[in-house]
Amino acid sequence: MTFSWKRVNAIFQKDLKDFSRNLAVSVVVFLPLILALFNGRAGENTITGHFMTINIAFTLIATYVQCCLIAEEKEKNTLRGLMLSPANTLEILAGKSLLSFVLTIIVIFFSAYLSGYNPPNIWMISMAIILSSIFYIGLGTLLGLVAKSVMDSSVIVLPVIGIFSIGSFVLLLVDKYPILKIAEYLPNVQLIELAEKIEVGAEFSEVLSNLGIISIWVIAVILLTIVVYRKRMVD
Amino acid sequence: MENAIEVKGLAKYFSNFRAVESIDFHVKKGEIFGFLGPSGSGKTTTIKILTGQLDPTVGEAFVFGEKVSKLKNSNARKRFGVLTDNSGLYVRLSIFDNLKLYCQLYDLPISKIDEALGFVNLKEASKKKVSELSKGMMQRVLLARAILHEPELLFLDEPTSALDPVNTLHIYEGLRALNKKGTTIFLTTHDMHEADTLCDRVAFLNKGKIQLMDEPRNLKKQYADSTITMELTNDEQVTIRKDAAGAEAMYQLMMENRLVTVHSNEPTLGDIFVRVTGGELV
Ligand SMILES: Nc1ncnc2c1ncn2[C@@H]1O[C@H](COP(=O)(O)OP(=O)(O)OP(=O)(O)O)[C@@H](O)[C@H]1O
Ligand SMILES: [Mg+2]
Repeated sequence: MTFSWKRVNAIFQKDLKDFSRNLAVSVVVFLPLILALFNGRAGENTITGHFMTINIAFTLIATYVQCCLIAEEKEKNTLRGLMLSPANTLEILAGKSLLSFVLTIIVIFFSAYLSGYNPPNIWMISMAIILSSIFYIGLGTLLGLVAKSVMDSSVIVLPVIGIFSIGSFVLLLVDKYPILKIAEYLPNVQLIELAEKIEVGAEFSEVLSNLGIISIWVIAVILLTIVVYRKRMVD
Repeated sequence: MENAIEVKGLAKYFSNFRAVESIDFHVKKGEIFGFLGPSGSGKTTTIKILTGQLDPTVGEAFVFGEKVSKLKNSNARKRFGVLTDNSGLYVRLSIFDNLKLYCQLYDLPISKIDEALGFVNLKEASKKKVSELSKGMMQRVLLARAILHEPELLFLDEPTSALDPVNTLHIYEGLRALNKKGTTIFLTTHDMHEADTLCDRVAFLNKGKIQLMDEPRNLKKQYADSTITMELTNDEQVTIRKDAAGAEAMYQLMMENRLVTVHSNEPTLGDIFVRVTGGELV
């Protein structure tokens, strides 16, 4: 299987132009930034506070926007055209993810700046955030492939956003309901745990387990997405 | 010579419904092959199977000698072009930007866009947003997209169904020129006139089955009722058989200088279709 960056870039360029004219969806990009600005003004300088904004960027941009982009390609039958073109599965999925990825990273960068988040080890945090972005984009792609229309995507995305944002609060109930302990393995919980460790000067080896668990989520969602995509090719 | 398409015992069932039932045919390289049939007869279903968008329930289909399920690599994809009734465009982008994406996906120079737009008579509209186009214009953009890379094999699903007569003729000319340059064309339509003007061979599909398959010329010969209708100076119409008695009658009328026009009563493909299927075409 070949992989052509030229084709990936062609899809990205198309998406960029299309997205800038799609105000209904593109306006979402500003929400995390506004929240970050408020947090910064209020002097809210805790990991929980910073990661609330980052998590909103993940669920709103990486997952929701991505889900809409994919669902629209499906609804308007343009995904079929891409599938029939010389572009292969990986090129199409990568091309269709690049815009959401770039947007997520840019928004998180500026959110962190606005809310005054300044982690002691920027490289480790960046790595964890990039991995997490890939997970949330994969999730959005998966949901977009399942959704029947763009309208449908908002409905489908909601419960998923729920699971991946309230995960950390659920942990407070672990003493009462031990089964909720599995929530510890959610990627968002792992990310916050990692960020807290780094805040107190942890080494790479100490956050390896967090990165490992997030990576497992990434691999799982990518494999699942490819399977569902292949199914959608012949319907 | 290798066939462009070969279909053996192909069938497609949607749960219990039989959309296509055990069809066999082949399309030779360089041919324009017409797949004719009324709405719901299984034309689009067949194109979807041939382009790998749908798996057959029974039977096999080969394109360029390869099983259709194996045509998923990019080099095979570059060899065919598709226009189906489920094709879509990016509505917020211009015609040009829509085609530009495909130029890049197919590794073509941007100059191909102008060529393709000339083909469908849309050069002046290239900056227009797709959401502002009429149905016929959209169909032409999709056609331009399908021929952008001058494929060896072109699948066209009712390519002129939304077009006015002038544009339809322009596209017929273009398709013939493309065919001369070597493109094999698999065309579905329920326009019998279109099939007659364009196709080297046609297959009549009805309720998922092929009823008849031959060159239009042969079909017309086979189903000709060998009569001639003449119009006379007094507006009277006379129909004669193509035999000695008929010749005698015609000779007489010509001697009397009463003959205005002469028509040989060839059946149209539409007539033949109705006779073969016992049904009306939409
Ligand atoms: N996904 C599907 N599920 C169930 N039935 C289907 C499906 N796709 C097509 N059919 C049925 O199969 C039959 C053939 O459909 P097809 O689209 O191939 O017809 P067609 O010849 O292209 O008609 P038209 O001229 O209207 O485009 C129809 O009765 C249709 O309802
Ligand atoms: Mg059809």
